[in-house]
Amino acid sequence: MVEVEQFIDEAIAEIDEQVGDADAIIALSGGVDSSVAAALAYEALGDQLTPVYVDTGLMRKGETEQVEETFSYMEGLRIVDAHERFLDELSGVTDPEEKRAIVGERFIREFEREAREADAEYLVQGTIYPDRIESEGGIKSHHNVGGLPEVVDFSGIVEPVRELYKDEVREVARALDLDALVAERMPFPGPGLAVRVLGEVTEEKLQVAREATHIVEEELEEYDPWQALAAVIGKATGVKGDNRVHGWVVSVRAVESRDGMTARAQELDWATLQRLQSRITGSLENVSRVVYDVTHKPPATIEYE
Amino acid sequence: MTTIVVVDNGGQFTHLEGRALDDIGVETGIVENATPPDGIDADGIVLSGGPDIDERGRSGEYLDADVPVLGICLGMQIIADEYGGAVGAGEYGGYADVTVDIDDETDPLVGSLAPETRVWASHADQVTALPDGFDRTATSDVCGIEAMSDTERGLYGVQWHPEVAHTERGEELFANFRAICESDD
Repeated sequence: MVEVEQFIDEAIAEIDEQVGDADAIIALSGGVDSSVAAALAYEALGDQLTPVYVDTGLMRKGETEQVEETFSYMEGLRIVDAHERFLDELSGVTDPEEKRAIVGERFIREFEREAREADAEYLVQGTIYPDRIESEGGIKSHHNVGGLPEVVDFSGIVEPVRELYKDEVREVARALDLDALVAERMPFPGPGLAVRVLGEVTEEKLQVAREATHIVEEELEEYDPWQALAAVIGKATGVKGDNRVHGWVVSVRAVESRDGMTARAQELDWATLQRLQSRITGSLENVSRVVYDVTHKPPATIEYE
Repeated sequence: MTTIVVVDNGGQFTHLEGRALDDIGVETGIVENATPPDGIDADGIVLSGGPDIDERGRSGEYLDADVPVLGICLGMQIIADEYGGAVGAGEYGGYADVTVDIDDETDPLVGSLAPETRVWASHADQVTALPDGFDRTATSDVCGIEAMSDTERGLYGVQWHPEVAHTERGEELFANFRAICESDD
């Protein structure tokens, strides 16, 4: 287990040493990993740091507003609305690895532009250990590892939490007094909802994944899942109010885990499952079915793509 | 302080083996499986899991290093293969949680887990015939040989992953291996 206080001191010193008097930009996603990286970098660099949050259009419900509020204490905070650029580039793409690569590439391009404006030479990222092993092992590329373009216009990339597991990052977050909402936040993948809609990314599927994920996170609060989500996995026939519906199939997933390396599908009671199904099909007219994923990791992964 | 080195065969969980050893207070490090055996100075060696037995590097050479060796998943299969046992596809793979029955409660590695223990597994292949000198020490419904020991030579294998959080009493298994390394002279 990481020695939290010592880790914080060393991480701040390391960022300070690596970046020196230069300016840096940090990629905020709203998740705990990048939030901790941002808080550490802000401690080390103060106003040399420009925190940038890119609204990719692939975010969870209310996420952008929440990030704006949590990080308003950092003066240089920039919120970029890149929604259309992401969706344009993802249009027509169905291969999961290609989707991840496109999101990763677009992310970096957005940051490059912001970095030039901010005159930043360094990019700070919240990459954690499992991101790296899964990418190196060829299991899944992570946007901040595998999707990184060959030519990056920065003098260096700073990854202060690269050796930590998720549970350790949370401990650091608590020690840094980060908003409880952030410290206890469920993990959310770098490519966002793009990997929670199988196949092509469309506004309609994103909307289903976003609303359904919100319902799942709300309904399963008492189960305290390590991660809970809803994914749009295909289409199937249903019947709603005497009308045939060829609607989306939503898969609900809730797992318990320590570090994301292994995960156990949670045992939910029937009433909870039925409430999920009823809220999701009831509030989203284009959803015909809800299924619950009982697969552990391994053999599955937590996210779908 | 006791030092146990982890040899990386490219497994997804290799780093967690380092973490588990660190968590029980053992001096540890992870080395590539191309590392020359005389470059390893340790009281014990863990052979990690990995995707392919043909990418075992110099893993076989560490078995002669005269310190106890614990093979995990592919690591166990490497030990079996090196000593004339057989490795092949199981009837079906073992994934996620498996209940393992301990055969031998006096075994220094897995005996303390008797009569049974819940573990997390991830393997398509398994040891299908024991090598000479080894005893089967654990079994399960999905895998005939879940663990094996040769206490004379100090060689041990488990097919499951004691290093992952979902394996119950995984830390105990590492503590048992530490005790084996500490009593070995």
